[in-house]
Amino acid sequence: MILSFITDLFQQDFMLRALIAGIMLGILAPLLGTFVVVRRLSFIADTLGHFSLVGISISLFLSSLGVTMFFDKPLYLGIIFSVIGGLLIEMFRRSYNNFQEISMVIVISLGAALSAIFFSLSKKTGSLYNYLFGSILTVTNYYIILILITALVVAILFILFGKQILAVSFDESSAKFLGINVNLFQIVFIIMLSVVVSVLLESAGVLLISSMMVIPVAAGIKLGWSYKSTLIISIVFSELSVFFGLWLAYSLNIPSGAAIVSINIIILLVVAVTKKIVLKKRIAKMDKLQ
Amino acid sequence: MQININNLSFAYGAKTIISNLSLTLNGGDYLVVRGKNGSGKSTFIKCLLGFNLVKSGMIFYDKVDITDFKSWTRFGYVSQNFDDFNYEFPITVGELLQISSLKRTKESERLKLLEKMGIFDIINQNINSLSGGQLQRVFIVRAMLNSPEVLILDEPTASIDKQNKEFFYSTIEDLHQLGITIILITHNDDIEQLNYTHLLSMYGDLTTSFEERGVELKEGVL
Repeated sequence: MILSFITDLFQQDFMLRALIAGIMLGILAPLLGTFVVVRRLSFIADTLGHFSLVGISISLFLSSLGVTMFFDKPLYLGIIFSVIGGLLIEMFRRSYNNFQEISMVIVISLGAALSAIFFSLSKKTGSLYNYLFGSILTVTNYYIILILITALVVAILFILFGKQILAVSFDESSAKFLGINVNLFQIVFIIMLSVVVSVLLESAGVLLISSMMVIPVAAGIKLGWSYKSTLIISIVFSELSVFFGLWLAYSLNIPSGAAIVSINIIILLVVAVTKKIVLKKRIAKMDKLQ
Repeated sequence: MQININNLSFAYGAKTIISNLSLTLNGGDYLVVRGKNGSGKSTFIKCLLGFNLVKSGMIFYDKVDITDFKSWTRFGYVSQNFDDFNYEFPITVGELLQISSLKRTKESERLKLLEKMGIFDIINQNINSLSGGQLQRVFIVRAMLNSPEVLILDEPTASIDKQNKEFFYSTIEDLHQLGITIILITHNDDIEQLNYTHLLSMYGDLTTSFEERGVELKEGVL
């Protein structure tokens, strides 16, 4: 069964596109996910996804009126709104310094309300399902180009500023003494995150993007002994989830995003339970020796 | 670096924490700031570090107003209980020091500092597996990595044992001997062990006193 899936991956165009998008998703989501988790902002992707949906719904509404913007690709307006959402979070975060999660609740509520209004006005509520749960098996060539460009830009930013991004993420207050302009960095980081979240949204879906960023990292933290090892483990888990998730989606005809997240959760559970058993055995062994 | 503080006052809302504080420190001085909890010690440090925006009074670093001051790499800072650091996420001591180094800091200097602080053998250990004393040494190494002129330590001995405390005080003394300006916040009971040059006492009722060791009241007293 899995062999015919692998053969189809390379023989059918839509499967090959899904594979490329999946591999990129499998790298980008946990890569940014580690920074999000370090900064204790696990809900941020969810929030940005909801705000991105506002742009998509406005784009659909405008096209229902006969106005086509950005080559009729709703995702482009989604990217712009995701960035606006990111900047709003940053603005609210600064005014509610000790209650950072409040900023996300404000933005997520505004995003959900506005997108519901515009989806309803556009009379295209049918497409809402795809945006909420993602559809990696139906991505087009333009999307592949877009995700590859995004991955390239993220790679360049990390090569140039990876050390600084990590320093600010781990300890914002000390970053200043490394000559880092923390405020500027926060804005660059939030813009990068907003763009990546909205690009991944088409394949992962608004409701599942956050899980794809955070769950592999949650499993990685359980096994990692350093930042580097945690990142690598998270990416490996993420890629495994994408591959087996695609296989499940293809074989059982179920939504791909849901299948990928389910595998992610299974991996997390297996890792958590195995670690607990191993630790228990180790403690019992040490007790015996004493 | 010369540090001038002129009539510094600071309030959180309507509650005044610091009132009309003035003092001058020269390069190589060793200032101890003492006072009980809530006396304004940490607020004072936050003003010095630019975390609290000063609205009344002035702070100058080498005659540059703090609002225009940009050379923060000349400072090293160890915060109280490392509160701002997320040490629950895996990161090794080596990785932390690598991301905390400026380009000018060489690998060999990093290793030398670790050896001096007696933590060379934990370079590959995860931060969250370290004891309070080890963690504190790592954070001092981090603050010293980029050869700062001024080292500011906010109650760094609050959560470590006696042995580590003694090691810590002798390390600070060594750094002071190298010509680094030290600003150390501590509780009253510690100061007899310290070889400071200046003492700022904050009494918790907005009154302060500033003295040079062995010299009577110098300047800037409310």
